[in-house]
Amino acid sequence: MITIKNLHASIEGKPILKGLNLTVNAGEVHAIMGPNGAGKSTLASILAGREEYEITAGEIDFDGEDLLDLSVEERAREGLFLAFQYPVEIPGVSNVNFLRTAINEIREHKGEKAMSAKEFMALVRDKSALVELDSKLASRSVNEGFSGGEKKRNEIFQMAMLNPKLAILDETDSGLDIDALRIVANGVNQLKTDQNATIIITHYQRLLDYIIPDFVHVLYDGRIVKTAGKELALELEEKGYDWIKENKVN
Amino acid sequence: MEQSTKASLQSFRSNLSAAKLALPSGLIATNEGELSLMDFPTSRHEAWKYTRLSRLAKIQLESTIAAPIDWEDFNMVKDAYTFVFQNTTCIYISSDLPEGLSIKIGDEIESTDWLSSINESHVAKLNVAHAQNGCLINIAKGVQVDKPIQIIYITDGPKQPNFWRNQLNIEVGAKANIHIGYFSKEAIDSYSNVHWSVLLKENSHLIMTKIQNDGEANFHFSTENISQLKDSNFTLNTVTLNGAFVRNDVLVNVEGENCETHLNGAYIMKENQHVDNHTTVDHIFPNCNSYELYKGVMDDKSTAVFNGKVFVRPNAQKINAFQSNANVLLSDDATINSKPELEIYADDVKCSHGSTTGQLDLEAVFYLRSRGISETDARSMVVAAFMTDVLSKVASNELKSYIYQQLAARFNLHLQGED
Repeated sequence: MITIKNLHASIEGKPILKGLNLTVNAGEVHAIMGPNGAGKSTLASILAGREEYEITAGEIDFDGEDLLDLSVEERAREGLFLAFQYPVEIPGVSNVNFLRTAINEIREHKGEKAMSAKEFMALVRDKSALVELDSKLASRSVNEGFSGGEKKRNEIFQMAMLNPKLAILDETDSGLDIDALRIVANGVNQLKTDQNATIIITHYQRLLDYIIPDFVHVLYDGRIVKTAGKELALELEEKGYDWIKENKVN
Repeated sequence: MEQSTKASLQSFRSNLSAAKLALPSGLIATNEGELSLMDFPTSRHEAWKYTRLSRLAKIQLESTIAAPIDWEDFNMVKDAYTFVFQNTTCIYISSDLPEGLSIKIGDEIESTDWLSSINESHVAKLNVAHAQNGCLINIAKGVQVDKPIQIIYITDGPKQPNFWRNQLNIEVGAKANIHIGYFSKEAIDSYSNVHWSVLLKENSHLIMTKIQNDGEANFHFSTENISQLKDSNFTLNTVTLNGAFVRNDVLVNVEGENCETHLNGAYIMKENQHVDNHTTVDHIFPNCNSYELYKGVMDDKSTAVFNGKVFVRPNAQKINAFQSNANVLLSDDATINSKPELEIYADDVKCSHGSTTGQLDLEAVFYLRSRGISETDARSMVVAAFMTDVLSKVASNELKSYIYQQLAARFNLHLQGED
């Protein structure tokens, strides 16, 4: 699905990623954990196409396409989705209207015909139920006046609507209470198929109680320094990151 | 130096016909006395600091007969009582006016019908001196007009001078919704000067929406003098979609208690276009509210001026006056000069004013793009969203969808109506 090779990236001349390698296959769930400042959100931003980062070396193959060569919207149309750590409020742009535009631009890109209003509304009903998002919220302005939990649920709602191949959840668990966490995780689990993949970026093991990863990676100082199964998350929760930092130094 | 500029206003007038409307003779005489001593203002005049008239001053206007046109091309809403002026000729009058709505056109208006309306500006004085045609609309006591009244003004042909003078009387307890559209056709270096005197009597209600959709090379001057008597409710929406040069002077005298005044403005400009909104709300009586919201989006090298004054006179206690001007500049070369002003002489009032100017919210653009929406569409959605609150105040849904269509056609802006 996605293969990241030797990725080096910097912002304002400061190197953040220093040779990151990662391969994610269809049907897999990967968790990327790591201490503050390790480069987790930078990775998410680069995958989504934020322009403030400079890629100094490396390549990213996304289902046969050179991802770094694609614009932000082309990446989305090819099936990449980023659930934002801080979803943006856009007063005046209605959530469902913008999603309908997005879906139809994606369909046009794929040479498919536009979704009918009826079909679209049925999809909205179906997918908002999945994340228990009030249908009134679905039709309000994007994230305007939403609580932290509602914003995150709205991200997963959008993910469900757009049905991406690869979803990157950037700290989706931050600011969520336990009920919201369960709802979000449940939504992600229900969307999982053997055709798509998920990268979960998180500080804490908590979310991984609900979404069971196939692989857990530790990102430290711009590189993946350890990869193991789901048990690694528990170990990190218990021991912190220091032992990994030491291991790396040794 | 003074002499040569003074000559420029008089020379500008030399080809213009004297007023054809029967205005009160005293008004004409006083006006002419003052106007003949006047000159085009320069940037030294506070009210014209950012709006230069030097290019206009060089134009020799000349009235010509225009070929017949199909006014339907300029129609904004279908379901309305409609009146159309092509240059200074009234070319269409709705025939089926309801009881309580009366309208006089041109020479049907008697000199005693006119309210005496005195403005300091050379624009308003030129209008008195050269008024060619216009209408007087009266809404009878207690009447609620069932459909909007639509008045369309078309400036047709190059160097065409158009002076329209109009009056609107809303009698006690009456209610009306009026749409006014300004358009032009091949109006290169043309000049339109329109004046409205509006009287809202006690407990009356008026929504006046101006759509300024002039051509790329027309000079448009619009003056509204509004008097509000007690318990009246007035809304003016000024929507500037197009026009090389647009100047709006709005003066609202709130002459009674318990009045509500709403001034909303939206301007969306590009290329070298210039729009100047000067507004004054004068609170003379206590216990009134006024709300002013002007929003603009400026692209390319366009320029905008906003100058909003609110006066609260010494005895006008318990006034709530709010004023806001917000702008988004889409290009580094676009300019906005914004000056909200409050002058308060009463001590028990609640007033606020503010002005903001910013760039497009690029984080929002990125968010929309990350969902698959093209950059152009994402930008236009964010621009449209910025304008939504002010455009949503435009009363009729049909007019709103007309505005949205115009914006879509001109700016690739796809606004989302309240559907």
